[in-house]
Amino acid sequence: MATPRSEWSDRSEALADALARIALGDRAALATLYRMASPHLFGVILRIQPDRALAEDLLQDIFINIWRAAQGFDALRSQPMTWLTSIARNRAIDSRRRSKTDVTTVSRHTAGTADDDEVDLLAALPSGDAGPLELLQQAAQARAITHCMGELSAEQQQCLALAYYQGLSHAEVAEHLVQPLGTVKSWVRRALLALKDCLGRDAAGPALEV
Amino acid sequence: MDYSRRDLADRLAAGYVLGTLQGPARRRFECLLPAHPALQQAVASWQFRLTPLSASVAPVDPPERIWQGIEGRLFAGAGTPPVAAALPWWQRLVLWRTASGLATAAAVAMFVVASQVPPPQAPIVVLLGANPEAAQALNASFVASVSADGRALVLKPLNDLSLTPGRALELWAVPATGAPRSLGLVQAAGATTLLRAQLLRDTAAFAVSVEPSGGSPTGAPTGPIVSVGKLQL
Repeated sequence: MATPRSEWSDRSEALADALARIALGDRAALATLYRMASPHLFGVILRIQPDRALAEDLLQDIFINIWRAAQGFDALRSQPMTWLTSIARNRAIDSRRRSKTDVTTVSRHTAGTADDDEVDLLAALPSGDAGPLELLQQAAQARAITHCMGELSAEQQQCLALAYYQGLSHAEVAEHLVQPLGTVKSWVRRALLALKDCLGRDAAGPALEV
Repeated sequence: MDYSRRDLADRLAAGYVLGTLQGPARRRFECLLPAHPALQQAVASWQFRLTPLSASVAPVDPPERIWQGIEGRLFAGAGTPPVAAALPWWQRLVLWRTASGLATAAAVAMFVVASQVPPPQAPIVVLLGANPEAAQALNASFVASVSADGRALVLKPLNDLSLTPGRALELWAVPATGAPRSLGLVQAAGATTLLRAQLLRDTAAFAVSVEPSGGSPTGAPTGPIVSVGKLQL
């Protein structure tokens, strides 16, 4: 599943171009890629690995890894930011397993008035209009997932957000929500199935490529 | 466990991309990934679905020292040759070859055989070993025979290649310094013969990349470099 290159944004094209040049050993291209992508990747890493010093080490390791692995980037299989984000998240999840950091941040975003106790995870998601995503294709994808997350129950949303944004395991999500492990596992499983079904129904994205 | 079962592959891939698959199970999954196209496809699909969630994460400007650290680790001592791992792929061929002992042995053997043929007409045989860093894209080895005058090249795959429809293999001549130049598209099944004026001039290695069906749109390799062989003259 991939977005056809003809629909890529200028930013994706620029990132892909930098990756192609990095694969040929172009140092300036690595600097360009770092400038474009490091703030986003650092934000993603910090959510999963809140220890700032460890997160900084991770970001460095990730770009060294990108320098070495750029030739494995396949523009037909994924967009550059998807590829880069996946590398960053994988490294950050691995580092969490090793350091076993305590969960200090909570994915609670209180919407509305101060006494509104409702957990609104959707506040963390991009809005459908412009928002942080100036790019048409990405905005469409973000709209789709925002819509589909909205169809899930509050518990399901919370499980997915804790796992995705903070890299928590089932057991950690269960501990965090004070729920039995089996319950959390089944919430996550059903949430993923519902999400897949909803995204397939709404977006009917491009056919799978093998 | 049968990892080709689609629902199982999908469930594991979802847990892997979401992050709930952790510990030994995650490591095991990562080990299996390169050899299982069904898993790779499921992972790519889940990355496509879930990565838009990351778009809402507020960017954080990293401190300047991080970039300095990256430069220091990769390009320590500007002006001196960079560390081996930071070399461009075509300059790292020696390392790869020692990494795959069998391929090296085969290449040497072929070269010995080739050099025993009377010199004037002896073709140059180059083994293009599979690039382990691109094995996830395609595991491909080739043998290239180049006529001694450097005007004809025959490239044959050494293993069965299943190429995704809409994609093609492109052969590149890689100079010791500078950008690779395209020698054109080659077949995934059977031999391809290429006639060019100067196949060997400034060529330090041959490489094969996976490209869109019409070939690289940019003139430089855009897809993964799946196979590389250094020229030994």
